[in-house]
Amino acid sequence: MFRIRFHGRGGQGMKAASRILGNAFFIEDYEVQDAPRYGAERRGAPIFAYVRAGREPINERGIIRHPDLVIVADDSLVPVPGAGVMSGVDARTVILINSEESPQVWKQRLNFEGHVFTLPVETADRAELRFIGATCVGAAARLLGVIKRESLAEAIRQELADLGSDMVEINLSKALAAFDSMQAEEGRVTPAVTESAADYRPPDWIDLEFEDARASAPAIHAGATSVEVRTGLWRTLRPVIDHDRCNRCWWVCSTFCPDGAITVDSEGRPQIDYDHCKGCMICVAQCPPHAISAVSEQDAQAEEAEVAST
Amino acid sequence: MSKTQTKQAPVSEAKVTVYRRMKDLPSTHLLGSGTAMCAGCGGLEALHEVYDVIGAKSIFVNAAGCMTLLSVYPFTPFRGSWLYTAMASAPAGAQGVRDALDILKQKKLMSAEEDMEVVVLTGDGSAYGMGLSSTSGAMERGLDFLYLCYDNEGYGNTGQQYSGATPHAARTATSKGEHGFAGYKKDLFSIWTAHKPAYVATVIGTEPLDLARKIEKAKSLKGPRLIIAMAPCPTGWNFDPQHTVEVGRLAVRTGIWPLKEYVDGNVVHTKVPHERVPVEEYLKLQGRFRHLFEPQRDETMLAEIQARADAYWDGVTQ
Repeated sequence: MFRIRFHGRGGQGMKAASRILGNAFFIEDYEVQDAPRYGAERRGAPIFAYVRAGREPINERGIIRHPDLVIVADDSLVPVPGAGVMSGVDARTVILINSEESPQVWKQRLNFEGHVFTLPVETADRAELRFIGATCVGAAARLLGVIKRESLAEAIRQELADLGSDMVEINLSKALAAFDSMQAEEGRVTPAVTESAADYRPPDWIDLEFEDARASAPAIHAGATSVEVRTGLWRTLRPVIDHDRCNRCWWVCSTFCPDGAITVDSEGRPQIDYDHCKGCMICVAQCPPHAISAVSEQDAQAEEAEVAST
Repeated sequence: MSKTQTKQAPVSEAKVTVYRRMKDLPSTHLLGSGTAMCAGCGGLEALHEVYDVIGAKSIFVNAAGCMTLLSVYPFTPFRGSWLYTAMASAPAGAQGVRDALDILKQKKLMSAEEDMEVVVLTGDGSAYGMGLSSTSGAMERGLDFLYLCYDNEGYGNTGQQYSGATPHAARTATSKGEHGFAGYKKDLFSIWTAHKPAYVATVIGTEPLDLARKIEKAKSLKGPRLIIAMAPCPTGWNFDPQHTVEVGRLAVRTGIWPLKEYVDGNVVHTKVPHERVPVEEYLKLQGRFRHLFEPQRDETMLAEIQARADAYWDGVTQ
């Protein structure tokens, strides 16, 4: 059985990608499970999807802890603990990652011996982000080696029919180009041996003493505790204010920011709270003198790291 | 039990608003950052503007919906308490909270200054559908509360299935056919005003001054006060989150979302778009209406939607 885990951000089409891959397996007469993991996550937040495919009935359920193939649509998720990209990965796991960095760089960064493949997808334009799913699924299908080109195309046509023929064609061309680009790596992913229940060894449980409700679920006596949640991690684009161009208007940016992530000081200068800005870019679109611009979050972080090291 | 009598809407003299111009809008905000709402959420935009006016002395009673995820233990963006109810029963929950506060006051366990505003917060799925009966009951009993509905025209929290608020022709997860949603958006404003509550208004986060004045007025009144905030939804309506404000402005300028209020038995339009932009300018920004433009324009449907907007405004005399 193949176990495939998708990592992306809400809105990048990972749910659709998992359905396409599942459907492609199904067309190849596999038994298939495909399921996105739902939670409190939203557009921009880390999300997960899982596909299992085998020739025998699949009795395994739930999240995939030990994947054969990990697909990462957004490389900024790798260092995010909550995204769990490297969770349960071992030397035989194949990692497919959408990144401009080389596989060598990723092997070194992750201290990982196995196969890493990268898909250099241009992410500067957010409108293009929605096709990352198609590119990932195309490359994944070839790495799996058991899905024919026409089965992949058929699965895309079936899953995306609702989006209209133009969108189907764009997704098809992206997916098939990625499929073709991985020709040399066909069949890199090998299915794991299905474990038998007889071999199951329970984890080393640690028993914790039962605490009464006052200790385990204390009442909250503070307001606005949500600031402890760093939603800035959702961001792929970063709004940057040019204070020379800012004309100290009636704080359009601060009023329209849904997340209250822009505050205005007593002199009328807006400041963006990058710990919480989700990168919606409403401020960029609405700033009357166009004093706020969008930069790639990755570039901004790289620049910060450089400044910090000098 | 404390008695909440059916109250007649007090005759409101034209009060001087503290929100005369944009610069009067708050530049610091009460609602905490770090919530799980989507980037660019039009509902959260409206809520944070509303919360600045309502203030921290408030208790939110929240029906199931996207905004259930505002307060996930141990995190909350509110400065006061929050109660979570089932989808249909937020106004009933508000009755309990209001009664409890009244009893505390009666028993002198709480001073009048410590009293709080009870605010129901629900999406359109609850407001236009499942929760309509308990809302009707609360108005019947003259419950002193504020109701804020964030209307993103579908069950957004579960993947945008259609609701009673979904507009004609919109594609949703449960209206994927060639022509989109076959039904029509319910006129919740009229359903609510038919109960003759103290106050009803429509707002949108992209018109913050109009919104602030209405919440200010609602706050000055007693009895049932109900607000519908149209909430442009990047995820459910399928547009880039940076366009939330643009979509909202066009909803007003095309006449699709009339800004109005009901007080003392009269409906007043607070922002009349005198030269209405054609509705297609609003529709074409959103993926849920893409089938009206691609692969070819659906002139019949576009004309129908335009005619409905025109007919609405033809009936407005002021």
